[in-house]
Amino acid sequence: MTHTLHRYGKVDTLNDDLVFLSMSAKGFANEKGSGEKMKKTLEIAQKHNPVNIGDMKTGNILDMSVDEIMKNVVDTSIVHAVFNNIEDAAAFAKEVREADLGISLVISAPFDRAWKVSDMAGCTGHTIEYSGGIWGKTEKLPAPEVLEFTTMCGHGMISHYLVEDVIKRVKAGTMSPREGSLEIGKQCCCGVYNPDRSEKLLKALVDKK
Amino acid sequence: MRVDPELCVGCGECLVYCPVGAIQLNDVAEIDQELCVECGDCRRAEVCPSDALIYEAHPWPRSVREAFSNPLAEHKETRVPGRGTEEMKTNDVRGLYGHGTIGVGAEVGRPGVSCNFHDVEKVTMALAKVGMQFAKDNPVTTNMVDTKTGKINPEIMDERVMSAIVEGTIPIEKLADVIKAAKEAATQIDSVFSLEFIDRPEADHSVPIEKILKEQGIACYPNGKFNLGLGRPLVQ
Repeated sequence: MTHTLHRYGKVDTLNDDLVFLSMSAKGFANEKGSGEKMKKTLEIAQKHNPVNIGDMKTGNILDMSVDEIMKNVVDTSIVHAVFNNIEDAAAFAKEVREADLGISLVISAPFDRAWKVSDMAGCTGHTIEYSGGIWGKTEKLPAPEVLEFTTMCGHGMISHYLVEDVIKRVKAGTMSPREGSLEIGKQCCCGVYNPDRSEKLLKALVDKK
Repeated sequence: MRVDPELCVGCGECLVYCPVGAIQLNDVAEIDQELCVECGDCRRAEVCPSDALIYEAHPWPRSVREAFSNPLAEHKETRVPGRGTEEMKTNDVRGLYGHGTIGVGAEVGRPGVSCNFHDVEKVTMALAKVGMQFAKDNPVTTNMVDTKTGKINPEIMDERVMSAIVEGTIPIEKLADVIKAAKEAATQIDSVFSLEFIDRPEADHSVPIEKILKEQGIACYPNGKFNLGLGRPLVQ
């Protein structure tokens, strides 16, 4: 479960963080040949200004070319595309719906935005997953402003030590917010990290100092 | 993962890339094998100037560390890369959740804290007691010796992993009991878990579980996952 579910942060920073994944159901009729359909999904994504693209089995465009990702997509892949505004997200979803690929498409976003994308794309929402928050020894967690970065990778591959180091370097002026954002984002290999949101978060932290 | 002391130049570049803080720097970098979850993140960062970070495939039971921590590793049972099942991602085709059947999950170790299977078992056994039906194709379930009690294979209990996702279903009328059991388990573990709930929306966009979650003091995030219903054949 999860993956893109538990992205932490204030709604205003999440509003421009719209993440899609697409996959087939293993052992069901839409599995066979779904690799080609996922490639088509990524082709469509490229037309609508994505800020990240990736395949869980290969990597993301912050770390490799989109061609390398595309050539490795297979039936068991899970492909991703991230957008930084609702118009591009909805245009992407609409074109995927019109292509009638028959594989599942899931968006992670604030729910009001997800419904809006669904309506704009002519879809009918099918299933919803909620995050019920973090429980247990929460004193082991890094600071909330660090969690906003680390939870953009669903697999925990963004080290809070790296985020804290990047924040320090950006504040010191030895690294730009964009450079810092890309350095963090490349560790999220499946491509669900949003480098634009991350850059904005870094700029806001610098302005706060 | 280990560091080749002959190759390491002691620059310390790799330290901050380890999500669980397992790399220390003395004269050269060293990886604490107890803390290392075998996620491969340090090597993938490609910051080592002397290629001193060495990947090693481990035999059972240490092999579960990579399976539960490296997102590029695919679980044999599910053929899904990552740690969980397809869950709501393909519910438009599978039809596992909705119409009174709720998906429930607790990702132990998330976000970024990591855990061992003692922590995981405290959660699985608590949820089993209130009737959770564990997802058959989930990697935690396949490492249980008894799915009725939630008991985990004793051979893997001390293994540390980035996170392990406990997944299953419950009739909606048992959801409040599940939440109470999860809250109790939260007081017993030496880690954290992130909770999740899956349901289908009604035609007016309302979702049946929202009221129960609110009554049980679960303040859900304003964001989450939303299956757009494009899979075919579509489950109504």
